[in-house]
Amino acid sequence: MKVALVGNQNSGKTTLFNYLTGMNAKIGNWPGVTIEKKSGIIKGTKHELIDLPGIYSLSPYSTEEDIAREFIFDENPEVIINIVDATSLERSLYLTTQLMELDTKLIVALNMADILEKKGIIIDEKKLEKELGVKVHKISALKETGIDELIKEIDKKKDIQRVNVLDNKIENEVKTIQCDLIDKHSKFIAIKLLEDDERFDKYQTKEIKDIAKKLEENYDTDLEEVIATQRYSFIEKVKENTVEKKPVKESFSDKLDKIFLNKWIAFPIFILIMFLVYYLSVGVVGSSTVDMVGSLIDSFSEFVQTELESIGTSEILTSLVVDGIVAGVGAVLGFVPQLIILFLCISLLETTGYMSRIALLLDKIFRKIGLSGKSLIPFIVGSGCSVPGIMGTRIIENQDEREMTTLLTPFIPCSAKLPIIALFSGYFFGENSGIVSASLYFFAIIVIILSALVLSKFVFKHTSNSFISELPEYKVPSVKYVAKDVFDKVIAFIKRAGSIILICSIVIWFLLSFSFKFEYGVDIKDSMLASIGKTISWVFYPILGENNWGATVSAIQGLVAKEQVVSSMSVISGLAEDVEEGSQIFGNGTLFGSFTAASAYAFMVFNLFSAPCFGAIGAMKRELGSLKKLLKAVSFQTFCAWILATIVYQVGSRIENGTLNIANILVILAILLAVITIIINSIKRKNKGCSNCPYCDSCK
Amino acid sequence: MNLAQLKIGQKAKIVSLDFDNKETRRHLLDMGLTRGTKVEIKKIAPMGDPVDLKLRDYELCIGKSDLNKIQVEVIK
Repeated sequence: MKVALVGNQNSGKTTLFNYLTGMNAKIGNWPGVTIEKKSGIIKGTKHELIDLPGIYSLSPYSTEEDIAREFIFDENPEVIINIVDATSLERSLYLTTQLMELDTKLIVALNMADILEKKGIIIDEKKLEKELGVKVHKISALKETGIDELIKEIDKKKDIQRVNVLDNKIENEVKTIQCDLIDKHSKFIAIKLLEDDERFDKYQTKEIKDIAKKLEENYDTDLEEVIATQRYSFIEKVKENTVEKKPVKESFSDKLDKIFLNKWIAFPIFILIMFLVYYLSVGVVGSSTVDMVGSLIDSFSEFVQTELESIGTSEILTSLVVDGIVAGVGAVLGFVPQLIILFLCISLLETTGYMSRIALLLDKIFRKIGLSGKSLIPFIVGSGCSVPGIMGTRIIENQDEREMTTLLTPFIPCSAKLPIIALFSGYFFGENSGIVSASLYFFAIIVIILSALVLSKFVFKHTSNSFISELPEYKVPSVKYVAKDVFDKVIAFIKRAGSIILICSIVIWFLLSFSFKFEYGVDIKDSMLASIGKTISWVFYPILGENNWGATVSAIQGLVAKEQVVSSMSVISGLAEDVEEGSQIFGNGTLFGSFTAASAYAFMVFNLFSAPCFGAIGAMKRELGSLKKLLKAVSFQTFCAWILATIVYQVGSRIENGTLNIANILVILAILLAVITIIINSIKRKNKGCSNCPYCDSCK
Repeated sequence: MNLAQLKIGQKAKIVSLDFDNKETRRHLLDMGLTRGTKVEIKKIAPMGDPVDLKLRDYELCIGKSDLNKIQVEVIK
């Protein structure tokens, strides 16, 4: 049997889903965590359970609400479990009143029973069952209580008689319209026709429109409002009969918000938290763990080499294993400890509810550059991995804001770009590596702001849209789920190292060890890879100041996976996988020996902002919807990356060799500033008209 | 009087939703902002926008550009 799990955003659906199926779907504490439907088998039964994105109503407002409604209509689940947040019963039951009008068996799961008591709320579930005409079960998805009874209810054949929600006048008209409909869910469709919902236009007739018009005259407003108001009046009555509430003191969340949303200290706290996240994952703590793992992998490599030689493996094969596989895969695995810390931080931000506050905090700023405060959630998730970040853009209702966020999310340095940053800044900037790493994040933020400004002015030209979002209460995160969330993400990363990176490393080793005449052991300059790289290395000339085929082919491999850039460089250098030191990759005489601080920074910039990996490109394609938009977006990203990297190198290398001193830089900056001010002012004038401008005659 | 004009702690009753955008109006109705509903200004984001409202036992944040389209009557 197909069972659908339907409920508001943030009502605990995913927690219940995970418990019932034993899977570990993503859980967070911000509205809209489930972005695609997921399915699994309920443990101990043969029922398929489908977790749908959270919805507040069956008249969809955002993309994810569309997914849920379409599923109910197209896939026809046999049972709907409506999970209701008992702590905000009134709003949650609104969806229930709509589900009651469908011809599908309905069970209400009254969730968060454990919190009810703390809040001084008592709900009479038997009475509620009677008032709604729907089976009700009190559960706690988190504390795992009451769930067995809920599952048993699925198999029970008998459904009870549902009550009418709307007033007699409307219910009678609905019955009349219903008679002419042969489809399933006829009552629901009839009501939607009265509301004139365009999704049901194919059923619409002149007679129905006449009925609607007459009713509207009667109520003196449109039927959408009448029906919504009647649903809420019905719920208010139900609540009065079933819920007892003792007055409670100021809630814990309100107290915390007095600090986290305080006018003066909210921003300092936000910056401190973000700084802490990156200090722990990218900074000192993260890099010291990487060193530890690095030396472990080193000894492993040596061990493999001696073992292979002692059992008489041929030179080619030993090289394949040590220089190809262990070097390539090891280079990536060395960064696992850093990732664990980063994933842990993001998971904590999500589950505690702070993420929703960040959106609220920054909405006004983001609006100024044409984005929504909710854009920040994809950006922060994207610092772990762009793919879930891009998928998370679905919580943004406005299409322009959503597409812009999709395009900009890959600009945030994701965890796979971390190895690139760590390698280059560690070797070339020594003691300042922490500052250099941090500077790249700031660089990314500036690029995002500027791109957003340009895109919203010239490409999307959209007007600022609404911010409507539920504010969830703060929660103490569940250790079990945070641990599992981090574990699953790290495993996914390791799996990638074991599959795609492994294969790429072998291919690179092959292209590097053989010439086009298939001779083994040729000089690296005569290898296949070198020949390929040399034909296109001119593209990178303005960034690196030289034609470097090794850097060229490495950067292109970033398309497969960004961490592959590091693997590739390490394999090309034909060396052990101790890349954190960087000394072997960039040592004298190696292919990358001519890198300088300027070209290193420029190369990082290119890899950070150019087209993301194929995984993220795929996610962008899904969210943007068309190949044309995708191509535009990826070209925009790569173009930005190339221009920025070129500027960085051209300026940086001149500072390095002393042709550009502070005075010159200041003059250039002053000129740039003047040009930008003029452009911004002209844009402003165009937008606002020139009521106060004394200079021209055109607008008098 | 519209909702954007209220201060923290003030309570009001919804009078009407004056939206040109049908989708936004529909969404706000679905979220419980029907005529006569009591709302309280609970929190205001540090930069003054959006505003967090308490209604129907939960909290909803709405941007100022929408708040000033919601006509209300202040409850003393």
